Amino acid sequence: MARITHGIACSHIPALGVASDFDKWEDPYWKPIQEGFAPTQKWEAENLPDVVILVYNDHASAFDMKIIPTFAIGCGESYKPADEGWGPREVPDVEGHPDLAWHIAQSLILDEFDMTIINEMDVDHGLTVPLSMMFGKPAKWPVKVIPLAVNVVTYPPPSGNRCWALGEAIARAVESFDEDLNVQVWGTGGMSHQLQGPRAGLINAEWDNMFLDKLSGDTQELRCIPHIEYPRETGSEGIEMVMWLIMRGALGKETRELLRFYHVPASNTAVGHIVLEPVNGDVPPSATVEGAATQEQID
Amino acid sequence: MNDKNPCENAGGPIDIHAYLGEFDDIPGTRVYTAKRARQGYHLNQFAMSLMKAENRERWKADERAYLDEWPMTEEQKLGVLARDYNRLLDLGGNIYFLAKVFSTDGLSFLQAVSTMTGMKLEDYQAMMIAGGRSPEGQRSIKEHR
Repeated sequence: MARITHGIACSHIPALGVASDFDKWEDPYWKPIQEGFAPTQKWEAENLPDVVILVYNDHASAFDMKIIPTFAIGCGESYKPADEGWGPREVPDVEGHPDLAWHIAQSLILDEFDMTIINEMDVDHGLTVPLSMMFGKPAKWPVKVIPLAVNVVTYPPPSGNRCWALGEAIARAVESFDEDLNVQVWGTGGMSHQLQGPRAGLINAEWDNMFLDKLSGDTQELRCIPHIEYPRETGSEGIEMVMWLIMRGALGKETRELLRFYHVPASNTAVGHIVLEPVNGDVPPSATVEGAATQEQID
Repeated sequence: MNDKNPCENAGGPIDIHAYLGEFDDIPGTRVYTAKRARQGYHLNQFAMSLMKAENRERWKADERAYLDEWPMTEEQKLGVLARDYNRLLDLGGNIYFLAKVFSTDGLSFLQAVSTMTGMKLEDYQAMMIAGGRSPEGQRSIKEHR
């Protein structure tokens, strides 16, 4: 049986990818970030999962304005780093896990989350930067990855509540997969940042830390934050943090914080990451006809 | 079974007009709504085309001729030629798409973003290193908070 062992949230700022690719970590500007991630890299190496379900958003790379899927899951064998306008990052290809991905995709649809299924795409910094931050520069990524892309570019993005509920449905899906696999769920993006207009550069450390605080324990407050609060408090691109709630929802009723790091700035953005462990991983049962039938088979 | 919604602030009909209206109340910010996405469709798709190396070459060789291949408004074309990103946001541009234009110019996000703030790059960078722009007074136009 597959199980969700931990959740990680992590910024995916493109400049972090540049710092990694061009070995800038010893620069005074980047050093605090390198030091902040070092304990997590060590922890991750000791707690390596088989598969990471990596929640991220595409930044006009695989998707343009022609098609805007709200939730899309990658079921392919592998994914190449995207050329985002300056040539692709020189990082390894990302290996998928089509068996688990298709299982999750089918389960989610029966659970009434109407997913878009992707078999071929390139993956941009949203997906590859968190891998660099957790694993450094290996010749091959040490985990298989299931990309889960969320639209947080064109409004309206999914609500925080819906993201949390999707996480719970992912937990149900993983639990019903027969193979013995350790799975982590990563939520990426954020934290506060605004990349546009005269208000660009906005950072709200107080709000970001409130958000980090409430990811642990049994509170569900974060799922109830309305969309408007994200741009008001955290800048126009802070809305990416709804993706962290998919990770949090997947960890169940109660979590415990293992590691945390927060730093301002990297480029225009507040950098944050957190490692969470489920204390009580229970999620509500599926509320659907098909989902209930699936659940009976598992029980 | 049907779990009750965990959010106390949930319930009642969705008023999409009020939902969208609130985004106009944030100072110095253009939230990328469906209306902007429609207005800027060809502008953003033009920018997207610069993802391909061969298109970047043609674009660099003659920007105006390249733009004329796209069904964009004259105002949008002039905005692109002037690299007036605030103007382009007003005309339906999205920053992740416009990023293809400034990346082709060899600008980083930090450099390009600073041009929208009316600040010098050094001043903008110094503000970020000092903790960024405070949200105080930047949350709501109506409520002055």
